[in-house]
Amino acid sequence: MAAAQARITAELNGNGLVAYTEGLTKSYPPAVTALDGVSFAVRPGEFVAVLGPSGAGKTTLFRCLTGLTRPDRGTVTVAGRDIWQSPRELRLARRELALIFQQFNLIRRLSALENVLVGRLAHVPAWRVISRCFTRADRQLALGCLDTVGLLDRAGTRADELSGGQQQRVAIARALAQHAKVILADEPVASLDPESSATVLQSLRSAVSAGVAVVASLHQVHLAREYADRIVALRDGRIVEDTPAARLDTRAIEQIYERKGEREAS
Amino acid sequence: MATVVRRAGEYPEPVVAWWSGRRLRFALVLILLAALYSASWHLAKVDPGRLLTGLPKMAGWAAKAWPPATDELPVLLLRTAETIAMAAIGTTAAALLALPMCIVAARNVTPSMALYYPARWLLNALRGVDSFVFALLFVAAVGLGPFAGVLGIALHTWGSTAKLWAEAIENIPPGPLEAAAATGASRVKVIAYALLPDVAPAMVSVGLFWWEFNVRASTVLGVVGAGGIGQELKNSMDLLLFPRLLTIILLILVTVTVIDHTSEWLRRKLE
Repeated sequence: MAAAQARITAELNGNGLVAYTEGLTKSYPPAVTALDGVSFAVRPGEFVAVLGPSGAGKTTLFRCLTGLTRPDRGTVTVAGRDIWQSPRELRLARRELALIFQQFNLIRRLSALENVLVGRLAHVPAWRVISRCFTRADRQLALGCLDTVGLLDRAGTRADELSGGQQQRVAIARALAQHAKVILADEPVASLDPESSATVLQSLRSAVSAGVAVVASLHQVHLAREYADRIVALRDGRIVEDTPAARLDTRAIEQIYERKGEREAS
Repeated sequence: MATVVRRAGEYPEPVVAWWSGRRLRFALVLILLAALYSASWHLAKVDPGRLLTGLPKMAGWAAKAWPPATDELPVLLLRTAETIAMAAIGTTAAALLALPMCIVAARNVTPSMALYYPARWLLNALRGVDSFVFALLFVAAVGLGPFAGVLGIALHTWGSTAKLWAEAIENIPPGPLEAAAATGASRVKVIAYALLPDVAPAMVSVGLFWWEFNVRASTVLGVVGAGGIGQELKNSMDLLLFPRLLTIILLILVTVTVIDHTSEWLRRKLE
């Protein structure tokens, strides 16, 4: 086991992957195959945009990467750990990977600051969590993350009193506070107006400058082109395109959404 | 897509025959209900005639009860305080017991389904037996007095509170819990940090409701010998001391009203 671990670590150092999946397959009986043999890898410090029509498997891919959904087949490796090897490995792997949800998923009755501190939960002893007594260093870190997303002045505001765009930025601050190697963002701008979308993607882009890898699923091709380094397209649970953002051409985009277009026409 | 629009009056309406399944079922339900009420009427031995002869007797008592007796007020107040204390201690003990139990009995956060089902069975059993019945058993076990009432209240309320709390937990959105778990935080941390703030107001509200309910319930616990104002109520009735009985009833009314309003006000403040 230790030898296998060493080999994987060496391999990781060799190819520099922070997270990867191999042959990921997940179906929801009776009829839906959400993922069909997806092998996908993330390198440090890159911004990957995942495109694809609704139902292409983007959310399932992200949930599998975080271990919120267990795949039928295939492996997920995060920071050199096979996440389904044991609950402990899963917990340790999750520290290195932050997930931003489309619906934000903030704790409604807690303040923005307390929500950002959720990113520190795995790093502090249980008694501090139960008594809500975080160290000064953690509180300062969380405030810094709120500052990064431009919400320092709302630190004390309850989450359910913030606007949608602000809530999503708090969720990003929460992800930043986790000091993860990868941030996954599942349609982070789907429910936001163009201005909030730009702020949110800018925040993610600045995380990339700091060396964090970001994987974001998007619906707007122009945003993917503007912010991402690499574009991966999913269709019917398979990767149909994996290309540097600069080289994505119009024909490829049409191909990604082709199937959906057909379905709408019929 | 067919987009033909016909003129009104030309659309075929769905035909429902008078003997259709739905109508037959409705008639059957009506007949069944009539039979059930008729049987219940006989089983409950409802006899309006007896009520008519009994009413003047009660009116006589009411006339004799005025004015309410005030000479024993200090003792009766002490017994009332005893009743409220029984409810408070019993409800608090129940809440402490319910706290770990509601986690185990909530499908979305239970540590294991092997514990979930036994927990649910236990809570349903506790809820199924009234605190009055528990108090009856405890009077036999630990003797007369308010302690038996406390134990009775605690056991029944344990089941009821834990079940309602578990339901409150099951109704919270799963997103924030997933978000906290996805950071690599352990189950204990997720429950303490992401779950509790969300359900705490609902839990306190349920707790207050049961305290209020138990004050009302414990006024009768004295009847089985479990202390409090109920015991005085039974004694006065047995000895036909009507002025004293009236004082006790008035005391109960005032207490219950005050507690109801306090609890309601507190619960509204939690919203």
